[in-house]
Amino acid sequence: MSTAFRTCPVTRLKVHSQADALIKANAVAATIFLIVGGIAAFLVLLTRWQVVHLLDAAWFYRMLTIHGMSMLIFFILFFEMAVLYFAGPVVLSSRVPAPRIGWLSFVVMAIGALTVEWAMWTGRADVMFSSYVPLKAHWSYYLGVILFAVGALTVVGLFFASLVVAKRERTYEGSIPLVTFGALTAAIIAVVTLGHGAAIYIPTFLWSIGVMHVDPAVYRLVFWGLGHSAQQINLGAMVALWYMLGALTVGAVVLNEKISRSAFVLYILFINMAAAHHLLVDPVAGPAWKVWNTSYAMYLAVLASMVHGFTIPAGIEVGQRLRGVTQGMFGWLRKAPWGDPGFSSLIFSIVIFGFVGGITGVTFGTEQINLIAHNTLRIPGHFHATVVGGTALAFMGATYYLIPLIFRKQVAFWPLAKIQPYVFAFGMLVFTMAMTFAGTFGVPRRHWDITFSNTSFDLQYSPAVDLVIGIMAVGGLIAALGGAMYVLVTVWSVFFGRRFDLETVKTGGQI
Amino acid sequence: MHTALEPPKGVWWKPAGRAEKLWVGIAFGWCLVLFAMMPLWHLKGEQNTTGIRRKVEPEAFQARTIEFIQQYQIGTEKGIPVVEPPPGSDVYLLARMWNWVPILKLQKGAEYTLHLSSMDLNHGFNLYPMNINLQVVPDYDYALRIVPGEAGDLRIVCNEFCGIGHHTMIGKLIVVDESAETVTYGGGER
Amino acid sequence: MAMYGVPPGITNPPSPLPAGADGEHPKTTGTLVLVFVFLAAFATYYFVNWKLLSLVWRIG
Repeated sequence: MSTAFRTCPVTRLKVHSQADALIKANAVAATIFLIVGGIAAFLVLLTRWQVVHLLDAAWFYRMLTIHGMSMLIFFILFFEMAVLYFAGPVVLSSRVPAPRIGWLSFVVMAIGALTVEWAMWTGRADVMFSSYVPLKAHWSYYLGVILFAVGALTVVGLFFASLVVAKRERTYEGSIPLVTFGALTAAIIAVVTLGHGAAIYIPTFLWSIGVMHVDPAVYRLVFWGLGHSAQQINLGAMVALWYMLGALTVGAVVLNEKISRSAFVLYILFINMAAAHHLLVDPVAGPAWKVWNTSYAMYLAVLASMVHGFTIPAGIEVGQRLRGVTQGMFGWLRKAPWGDPGFSSLIFSIVIFGFVGGITGVTFGTEQINLIAHNTLRIPGHFHATVVGGTALAFMGATYYLIPLIFRKQVAFWPLAKIQPYVFAFGMLVFTMAMTFAGTFGVPRRHWDITFSNTSFDLQYSPAVDLVIGIMAVGGLIAALGGAMYVLVTVWSVFFGRRFDLETVKTGGQI
Repeated sequence: MHTALEPPKGVWWKPAGRAEKLWVGIAFGWCLVLFAMMPLWHLKGEQNTTGIRRKVEPEAFQARTIEFIQQYQIGTEKGIPVVEPPPGSDVYLLARMWNWVPILKLQKGAEYTLHLSSMDLNHGFNLYPMNINLQVVPDYDYALRIVPGEAGDLRIVCNEFCGIGHHTMIGKLIVVDESAETVTYGGGER
Repeated sequence: MAMYGVPPGITNPPSPLPAGADGEHPKTTGTLVLVFVFLAAFATYYFVNWKLLSLVWRIG
């Protein structure tokens, strides 16, 4: 296998050809699943909007399952594999150790993902993302998830190995950069998460072929050790990308390495127990267990996010002020490169994640308040703000840098790319806020027909609910348009884009 | 200073600036407020999730529910028994694909111990229009003391996916005010 | 120097930081204002939800 290095003309980093290739493969796979999940999202949205009510019940639940798995597992984890190859070998100017294992993991993950997709599309796994036992899917569904997780875990191992190799071969001086440190915390959380994945999917697979029994409450406990912690991998990767985008777009500085790194460590230490907030109205755990896990544990992770929510904008502000942008209180923000989709994505991602996702999440994750939130539309309203408005939008912003720096292509339809974060962020903001608000009326999530047209007892929600669901649908459609713009721009750039060669424009330039 | 993409050289464990210290302190203080609210609500609040939680065989729970229905049944609606238990008693609500059994008739202001369990899959208890939500898990009995606050004709919506008929799973709960006229919620009687 | 299809962070990378900027950094007044707005929104939403909870039936 080729082991050639190239020097990136922009960042002066030495990039291993295998790192280039593995990032490309994983990013392309991520985009494919984004398209699948996006189509499913569109169909689910048009069904929940009762004015249209597009799909029949069976296909609605099927599409909802496909949407959850394709987005939350396959899209996000494939993209995170690309982030790991970037934050390890590329940022440290090092080689990918054992690239063959990287490719093998990629193939294993792809086979796992395709197996799960097959099971879902053929109606063998209408079980939702959470697949609560004793709701049973075909065994191939669980096996596919296990394969995918094994592949992802191997890439995480490869990332750890790349840190060791870079250190030993002295490819950098000093400590690993903060972006790599953030990716490292995401990788450590991934090990914990995938451990829970093994602990729950292997018994569930055995249960599906009739070999053993799985307790429904134990399933919920261990599943959320996977299901929620997986969101913390996203969180770690997203925050690392926030720091990276700040550095690339405006030269944001790190105010204090100690504070930022300690905040990342808080994620590792406490976030896993925060999975307990899925079980706040479950008939098993007692109040002490609930309060302990969702307060001491979760709030220290909340503290970490609040710290990053300060240090990242403050790093931008200080970077701008040091470069002479000193007008007034917000001159540093006004004079920022708002036409750079990397920058606008960064800011919108922070705002939607913090203001909508963060605030609602902590509130609904409070033991007693969960009584008026659990399984209503408030919950998907919360996590679309964190995972889509936050994580996916940060990934999109990073992609606009990934295309020239790694794919070495110009971003196609550039004017479209420049407004894409605005369209997507606006749509997601409206969508998530309306969805959360609809849940305040008790409107259930994962429900095909909230007009209850064919039920033994009638139920008519307040007309306000119709209005709010309508606003949610419009927001969702705008977000879907923004998503489609992203797919068009990235796919076109990668496959038909003009080659990007910085030397023809100017020579060099240090970050 | 340096960016987050550059390796910091030398010792980076340095004292934080004033603004950082201020914000970390305030954020930590806020987290303590968040922490204090939950135990405080256990002491002072009237809505908690504690209840009595224990394992139960689905068949045993079903048998207990049938016994309960036979004891207090006052009628039938849409094939589902209507049950009026006395204030202070243990009442049973069984979730199964795809209905809630029985229809409970309760008195406003009286306390009951509501037992929830499932015969088959996970179900979700969502009381309309009060928006009280509880997870109903097979093999487990969740018993909560509950005091109906308003009279009315209420609905129980299943809000955990439980198969193809999930959206048809809706139950009924009646609360009567012995001292006043009945207020009707939602769509009322059909 | 702008270039079609390339983010300005690449064509016009942020200028190198002035030398000797290590140590004390300029004030972050703008950011402090923003995070206090966040905290106010957080506290408002949080306590409104406790209020909403207090309106439902007694349960426990």
